[in-house]
Amino acid sequence: MTEDDFYRTSSQFRLWSFTEDSLRSLRQNTNSLASDRVRDALRRAREARQSANSSAAGTPNPNGSDADSKPGDEKDIECLTPEEEQELVRYYCEQIVQLGESYKPPLPTIVRATAIQYLRRFYLTNSPMTYHPKTIMPCALFIATKTDNYYLSLRQFAEIVPGDTSAEDIIAPEFLVMQSLRFTFDVRHPFRSLEGGIMELTAISQGLAQPAPHTPQKTADNLQRTMLSLPQPPNTNQPSSAASISDRLARAHHNTREILKSAAQMTDAYFFYTPSQIWLSALLLADRPLAEFYLDTKLSGPKVDKSPELTQIRTKLLTTLNTCAILLQSYKPLASDPDQKKALRRIGKKLYHCQNPEKVNLAGQKRIPAAAMAAAAAAASASDPATPDSEMERLAKKRKLESEAKRRDDIFGGELVMERTRERQG
Amino acid sequence: MPPSREAMVHRGDEDEVCPVCKSSRYLNPDMRFLINPECYHKMCESCVDRIFSSGPANCPVAGCHKTLRKNRFRKQTFEDIHVEREVDIRRRVMTVLNRREEEFDSKLDWDNFLEQREEIIFNLVNGIDVAKTEADLQKYASDNMRSIRANQALEAKEVTSFQERQNQEQELARLRRQAAKEEYENERKEILAGREDVLTRLASGRPADAATIAREGQRVLLKKSSARRSEEERIRLKQAALRGTDAKKPGQPAAAAEEGGSGLIKGLRKIKTPEPEKAYDPFGGMVPNQRDYYTLQDHYPSTFLDPVRQDTRMLAGGYDLREYYSRTLLEAFAGLGCFIDEEVSKREGNAFNTMKPVGTQGAALAATSDSQAGK
Repeated sequence: MTEDDFYRTSSQFRLWSFTEDSLRSLRQNTNSLASDRVRDALRRAREARQSANSSAAGTPNPNGSDADSKPGDEKDIECLTPEEEQELVRYYCEQIVQLGESYKPPLPTIVRATAIQYLRRFYLTNSPMTYHPKTIMPCALFIATKTDNYYLSLRQFAEIVPGDTSAEDIIAPEFLVMQSLRFTFDVRHPFRSLEGGIMELTAISQGLAQPAPHTPQKTADNLQRTMLSLPQPPNTNQPSSAASISDRLARAHHNTREILKSAAQMTDAYFFYTPSQIWLSALLLADRPLAEFYLDTKLSGPKVDKSPELTQIRTKLLTTLNTCAILLQSYKPLASDPDQKKALRRIGKKLYHCQNPEKVNLAGQKRIPAAAMAAAAAAASASDPATPDSEMERLAKKRKLESEAKRRDDIFGGELVMERTRERQG
Repeated sequence: MPPSREAMVHRGDEDEVCPVCKSSRYLNPDMRFLINPECYHKMCESCVDRIFSSGPANCPVAGCHKTLRKNRFRKQTFEDIHVEREVDIRRRVMTVLNRREEEFDSKLDWDNFLEQREEIIFNLVNGIDVAKTEADLQKYASDNMRSIRANQALEAKEVTSFQERQNQEQELARLRRQAAKEEYENERKEILAGREDVLTRLASGRPADAATIAREGQRVLLKKSSARRSEEERIRLKQAALRGTDAKKPGQPAAAAEEGGSGLIKGLRKIKTPEPEKAYDPFGGMVPNQRDYYTLQDHYPSTFLDPVRQDTRMLAGGYDLREYYSRTLLEAFAGLGCFIDEEVSKREGNAFNTMKPVGTQGAALAATSDSQAGK
């Protein structure tokens, strides 16, 4: 289908679409890497503290919390599991929605949704143990205001962010976040898709619609008639005859939008399904007969039945939409679930103990750690931990040596003037 | 050269006799003999005039029944009539089989072709399989008309350019000679003038200075000549460099063998005619407004959007609601038939490890570098 090829070119499809297995293994991998690093970092921190204690005995431990000074902390540190990490990220996704609400006027839904997706994408390859979501979350939201063209100055933005977060704190991890997003800022949302669908459904209901290219036999009249005779969705308690078709559409529109705003954001739907599949699944939840009718206007009829490709797409699409709908339905809002809150409190406590201590102060670090990256790459190969500065020096020296060697190897010697000056100096 | 050839033709033929009219050179010293490449029978000019002036006629030599025409008669180049004939045949075959070395795939093929050509010539000269060979040659000539022409043209061009180059070189040599001559002349004049100068100074100066003046005069001369020599050297180098840039190789490969080549010659290089360039398609094969899930309409009823259609403030800037329609509807269906389950697993099967590790490695790198910096 032509439209599908449009979507296949998007970065969301190319980089941020996963199967369930691959997503799980990716999270698992991230989690195990981060756990290893957190254990190493905590061990280093403890050793440093012990040596400090032994050298200055008698002075009270500067960050002497009970947990740290206890000898029991020799035992292995308990790290978060991938599931716990996911819970935590979800909590901060909810926080984004609330934070967006507290602005005046509230941030548009699409900005918040983009920020949520940024946060989710960020935590695919980073662990909350390494970077705490509370530092990443405002940054993701701020980036989203920029990428979605909803301008807010950083100062304005920082005023509303709770806690004593300064503007510097908010943009400190900005490069890190963008890097983890692999510099793909385009998020395809199902919101505008929903508008398009409802727009066309309205046209059908008024008998003004043109048939889809693959179902040319359906006229506007007969589409309208079929639509008016649709059975009411089972979950409405109103008398079926009373509701007019436009009311029904408006209701379906509203309900679908609510689902897209909440369930679609808080689950992994964006990773598993395309936006048009998501909005149609949401419509399926809101008004099943209507959604099925709408699909039929596109993908059913004698012409479609004759071509095996289209029928295949149709059957596959129906199963996909149903699984997506089940995923969307599985979402339970945090506020209504005390169990989840309890679990979150537990995770929060656990995270306090297994937070990577070397990553806490993001603002103190370089915003663009390019040099550090290069140094790390070199260090990884040479296995000698060098600071960026000495690394630079080393590289410069190497380059100089190389060029000199090259000059020596040149059969005609170096440039004459240079040779002469060297002789004179020698 | 012409005189010597003339001499060759006339050597020892004081009593040469025309086989047709039996008149001898002794009686008629201006007599010229002509031959016709049809039969290579020799006869004198007056006989040719006499017999063939009124149109084609049979060869007057007994036993030869070839019909000859006057315009084909020409002077003999070689004394030996067999050589003359062979050269004629060779020339004729060469004009037809005028493939060039660049047109062959390998050296071996080129050599095979040369051998084949020699064989054909040999056959024609010695009358072996003449009919068949001629037929082959004819067929080849008609089949490969175009490439033969192209190669001929190329050859002509090469000849002319060669001639030009030679002329140029001769001209340059002449200029050099002239310059050298002038040079020599100048030098001689200067030496004379210097000597004169020294003499006048000696004459006017005191006798005690004689030795110094003589030495000085010598030095001046030497200096001048060495300066001149270095100047000459410089000019010569410059000219040599100029010549080097001039001497470009003019011959390009013909590469004009017809597709299918010919049955006669093997191993011709296949000529790849470049694919005609297709017209540029900015959409890369997509039909711009073709959609599979919906038909775009000019108007969709909506209480929310309809006011925009009349709102001058919105429309003045060129805003068109149809853009909104097309965008929303495209987004509504873009990717509806992308089944990530299948397509992504297929993609990962193709290029596993291409996308996951990038992210994780990046994070790992960042993490390690930061931890080291923090150390």
